Amino acid sequence: MLMTGAQYIESLRKLKTRVYMFGEQIENWVDHPIIRPSINCVAVTYDLAQDPEYADLMTTKSSLTGETINRFAHLHQSTDDLRKKVKMQRLCGQKTASCFQRCVGMDAFNAVFSTTYETDKKYGTNYHENFKNFLIEVQQNDWIVDGAMTDPKGDRGLAPHAQRDADMFVHIVERREDGIVVRGAKVHQTGSINSHWHIIMPTQAMREEDKDYAVSFACPSDVEGMYMIYGRQSCDTRKLEDGADVDLGNKQFGGQEALVVFDDVFIPNKYVFQAGEYDFAGMMVERFAGYHRQSYGGCKVGVGDVVIGAAALAAEYNGAQKASHIKDKLIEMTHLNETLYCCGIACSAEGWQTEAGNYQIDLLLANVCKQNVTRFPYEIVRLAEDIAGGLMVTMPSEADFKSDKVVGKNGETIGDICNKYFAASPACTTEERMRVLRFLENICLGASAVGYRTESMHGAGSPQAQRIMISRQGNIEGKKALAKAIAGIK
Amino acid sequence: MKCGIKFCGGCNPGYDRRQACEEIKEAFENKELEFLHAVENDPYDCLLVIGGCSNCCASYNQYNVKGNVYKMWNRDHIDKIKEKLSSI
Repeated sequence: MLMTGAQYIESLRKLKTRVYMFGEQIENWVDHPIIRPSINCVAVTYDLAQDPEYADLMTTKSSLTGETINRFAHLHQSTDDLRKKVKMQRLCGQKTASCFQRCVGMDAFNAVFSTTYETDKKYGTNYHENFKNFLIEVQQNDWIVDGAMTDPKGDRGLAPHAQRDADMFVHIVERREDGIVVRGAKVHQTGSINSHWHIIMPTQAMREEDKDYAVSFACPSDVEGMYMIYGRQSCDTRKLEDGADVDLGNKQFGGQEALVVFDDVFIPNKYVFQAGEYDFAGMMVERFAGYHRQSYGGCKVGVGDVVIGAAALAAEYNGAQKASHIKDKLIEMTHLNETLYCCGIACSAEGWQTEAGNYQIDLLLANVCKQNVTRFPYEIVRLAEDIAGGLMVTMPSEADFKSDKVVGKNGETIGDICNKYFAASPACTTEERMRVLRFLENICLGASAVGYRTESMHGAGSPQAQRIMISRQGNIEGKKALAKAIAGIK
Repeated sequence: MKCGIKFCGGCNPGYDRRQACEEIKEAFENKELEFLHAVENDPYDCLLVIGGCSNCCASYNQYNVKGNVYKMWNRDHIDKIKEKLSSI
């Protein structure tokens, strides 16, 4: 049963998720002004699925039940599915100009599905069946699931078992007949508070001495022993200002990250997907990372579409749209953005079928995709700032523009003065000009820069992680052989 | 006569697909052609697939269509589509 956005928001109210922010527990986190934009953002993934104009990308048939489901809960059945995933992400990015938080769960589903199949084949475990049953629950309830991978990691020079504090990586602290008890934390968890459930995966390849850290499972977000500490964002307290609107840049939508803590959480066996099979930790990580690096070739492109549009509007509002250098900068921004999309589509088109039957992306091309994502959005926002002009960061507040305090000799108010001196092209009102500049401020260096810039850098793995994969997949020996053949070297 | 309508997912449409659809529907007001969002298992005399770009990637094989499938992916196709739909 597909939920609407409103039904999704109501479903969150039934959860008893423990959320902390600024040192206090937030009881009504669903309506908290700092958190709510990120919930609205997830709700868009529900509403678009209800709209015939977008349903072809947003919904599909479940390979497990045959029922219509949200594509975010789908196991990719073909390269066409992989391409449609990227297109769906671009669409969601366009509609929210934010991280809509739902792809991480989808990427976890597909990675855990194929890894559990191969684990069971080797060890005779029952993880694949556990996972399929869990995913059917997810699909039928139309749940949001956070795919959680990144551990705090402590001292990067030490393996999990060698850390001074054993909790620097999520690990099994007790094995019971009916399940496992886990302890540790996952950091930077995008959308964790807005999720009904979590899938936890190991953060890196493991060795035998780290087998208690090779653990994957699912749990509801309000399970006993689990809590979340909200990550703050640049300019976040603007959202607490009375009547805040224009100064927010994007009033309706935003992203969210949190520290998720597992304080001795019991996981029943039916929700366990890995518990010590350390030789499959790397496979799960690599497959998840591959999918997630593909994802960035869709979602960030959609956000980029909005940034380019805003830059073009800013140019128009400034009256500079006919300048050749402005046109050229918009071309460059488009070129960079579509290059990212090319990478997302390419790694999808070159996907392959796993032993479990779902489709995996081409790993080299997905890593090239994400490597470009660590760079191009930065150039896109640089050009956007160039086009927008300095006013983006120097203009007075919305309260000034609306102030009726008299300051001029002829009775002019602060609002009159602001509107007089910040007027530009007749193509727009001063408020419209403010709105587009505040949007650009928000995405270039405000709260949304978390999603468009730093998340592009470090989300789905920092740049060096992709370079390692590119090095492994790059086939330098094959290329040397080509050069030898052409050059006549034996 | 029933004409099913199927939109592509709209990831980067080059025109307003919904508006184009409305323009086509308006041309057939008071005529014996009913436009409905396509759903599986319902029979249609024809199907109109409205794509946002030349890829026109909407899936439509799942629908029960007795007659032709008409595809468009550009505003300029509106007149041609009207012409084709008039001829059925």
